[in-house]
Amino acid sequence: MSNRELSLSIRSMKILTKRELLSSLYGWGIYGAMFVSFLVSSFIIRNFLKGIGENNIFISSYPLNFPLFISVIVISLYLVIVSAVSISREREQGTLEVLFYGPVSSSSFLLGKYFTDMILYFIITGFSLIYFFGVSLLTNLGFTPILLKAYLLSIFIASCVISFGLFISSLTGRVRSSIIWIIGILIAFLVIWFLQNIFLYFPPEVLSPPLRYVQKALSVAYYFINWISPFSYLSRGMESIQLGSPKPFLLNILYSVIYTVVLLSLSVYILKAKGVRI
Amino acid sequence: MRLKGVFSILTIFSLILVSITVVLAQEQEKKGKQPQVSTAPVLQEQLVYSWNVFDGKTYTAGFIPKSEDTIYLIANKDNAISAKKTLVYFWPITGKYMAGWKTLNEDVDGTLEILKDGKVIKRLKKEDNVLYYPEGYWGEKALFYKDEEARKQYKKYKKALDGYYNALKKYYEARIEYRKKLDKFFKEVKKRREAGEKGPLNIEIPKEPQPPKGPNFYVTEPKKDYIINLPPGKYRIRVRARDKTIVEGSEKNLFVFTSRRTRGVGYEIIPGNRWTKKEQCNDPASIIYAAGKNVLYFRPYFQDEYNELYHNKLMDPQNTGRVENWKWVHTDPIKDVILLFYGRGNLLSKIVEKPYIVQQIPGPELGYNILEYNKKDFPYKHPTFSGYQLVLTEKLPREGYLIYLEKKGKSTIMPKSKREIRIVKKENANLLYCLSIFPLVVGGIVFVTRWRRLR
Repeated sequence: MSNRELSLSIRSMKILTKRELLSSLYGWGIYGAMFVSFLVSSFIIRNFLKGIGENNIFISSYPLNFPLFISVIVISLYLVIVSAVSISREREQGTLEVLFYGPVSSSSFLLGKYFTDMILYFIITGFSLIYFFGVSLLTNLGFTPILLKAYLLSIFIASCVISFGLFISSLTGRVRSSIIWIIGILIAFLVIWFLQNIFLYFPPEVLSPPLRYVQKALSVAYYFINWISPFSYLSRGMESIQLGSPKPFLLNILYSVIYTVVLLSLSVYILKAKGVRI
Repeated sequence: MRLKGVFSILTIFSLILVSITVVLAQEQEKKGKQPQVSTAPVLQEQLVYSWNVFDGKTYTAGFIPKSEDTIYLIANKDNAISAKKTLVYFWPITGKYMAGWKTLNEDVDGTLEILKDGKVIKRLKKEDNVLYYPEGYWGEKALFYKDEEARKQYKKYKKALDGYYNALKKYYEARIEYRKKLDKFFKEVKKRREAGEKGPLNIEIPKEPQPPKGPNFYVTEPKKDYIINLPPGKYRIRVRARDKTIVEGSEKNLFVFTSRRTRGVGYEIIPGNRWTKKEQCNDPASIIYAAGKNVLYFRPYFQDEYNELYHNKLMDPQNTGRVENWKWVHTDPIKDVILLFYGRGNLLSKIVEKPYIVQQIPGPELGYNILEYNKKDFPYKHPTFSGYQLVLTEKLPREGYLIYLEKKGKSTIMPKSKREIRIVKKENANLLYCLSIFPLVVGGIVFVTRWRRLR
């Protein structure tokens, strides 16, 4: 690629990013998604406080991390769906074909979508910081440096979820099918991840035999989706924060970056191979 | 496509989960985990390995039945293992196989071979070994000695025991003598009182002999086992008989593991409002959240962190566990330290360890008091527990506090002993919902601003 082509590609990527970004910021969706994610977090934190009140004492590692990550999941799902819809819609309406006749390439188009989502995520992070700081002031649950570490990690988790969404939407053609596929797969991953984490709290001896088999089955399923599901990166990240050692934390960030790069490259390749028409 | 897509994904995942569940259930059945048992257990002669292995804190005895194929051991520690023939039966109440040692307990002779990557790396002969309990027979801590040192320790214990029995013999003799002297004393008192003597009699009261104290340590009888001490890794073991053949059923996998984090500091916390429900604050990342007025008793321990599955299997190979989980194992209680309680960077109090006694409130109502123990007030009782008492009063500002352990007389803080205590404002819980509305407010402002600009 010549310098001129590269600069044109970057310029078109910037224009695409700006267009998508403004469109998202002027819409209600992003604010609605933030509201839902904070509402879910508030519900979790409220119940946590209720638990402390009932027991008088409660021992936990960073109770704000869990609501933060739940909020990250809600926001990421929103971002993924928005970008999947925009890719499929442009393909469905034929605007993608028009764009590709110009200086827009598959990579600049997808990277434009990716950067839009990431910038939106940074903006949402600003809101989230204000929200959790408020929570901390109201409840005294503590806005610790560890929470900031969790925020740093959340950026990479969001990057994994977004690139996964872009990858799925590059595989599908129409808006409805891409939404269905993304929601279906992510919900399946989420269910496995969530149940696996729930089961981790119960020692096998307290489970009935059928539940023990389900636990083992989930464990095997989790093993297979360990490197595919973006939520596994979340689990590993949470564990690395808990360990307090920088090595697993940095390794998890590195894995997330590799995951993002691989999925984005695959998406570009698939978009090129499939073409811009349905 | 469309809805078909989501249904097909969910169906595929459900099918995968169901098939994995069925395969696992079949495998368990094949392994004979839950055989059909009617009333009397069916005894089956099996070659098993019995052991005394290091469990992170002390030494645990156990055995591995035929149904399990892997032995789990902690790395770089001496572990005693023996191949034996015994009668094994299934006990449905615990769902585990048990060994009938009293009916059959036959040693299998030979050399234990340890293989790594298919090559024999060690050939072990049986060696004498003992367990030394420095805190006595009921003590939890045990030290392992082998070979010459084992025999020496046992000899030391025997000598102490013989000394004790001699002292006991002398004590009983002295006691008979004492009884005689006491009878004589009472007779003399009676005689002189009957003779009309009044006031102090000035007769020497016989001194009661004190029983001797037994050895304050305990050493098990030396026995011969294979002593395994290996670095972490996967191995295989087998017993080679004297005729150079491999003893049937003696081949097992050996998984040697180590702790992920070592020499951490963990706390057992006894809340004053429910002293029987102890809390564990083992992970250094854990924060103690309190709702307000309470009294907490801290009991600090050294601890190591092990994989839950491996450690559970070490304790009993028939146990289950999760390879994804980690557990802290308390190794030793931490002695000679002071608990420091900090708030806003200032030292609020220095707390020393004290014994406490729990006393039920008299009457039919439930309730108890935790009182500081002293021999004067409770002459015939023992303390229920000892710990560091931290009183959280209502006056304490609702913010974060820190606790540390300081070595007595050294004023150095013990590493990894820091824990945070936060007193939460639970009354503000409902206000959190109001806080979550603020993105909508910002969205509203953006919308109105844009609408005005466009107009």
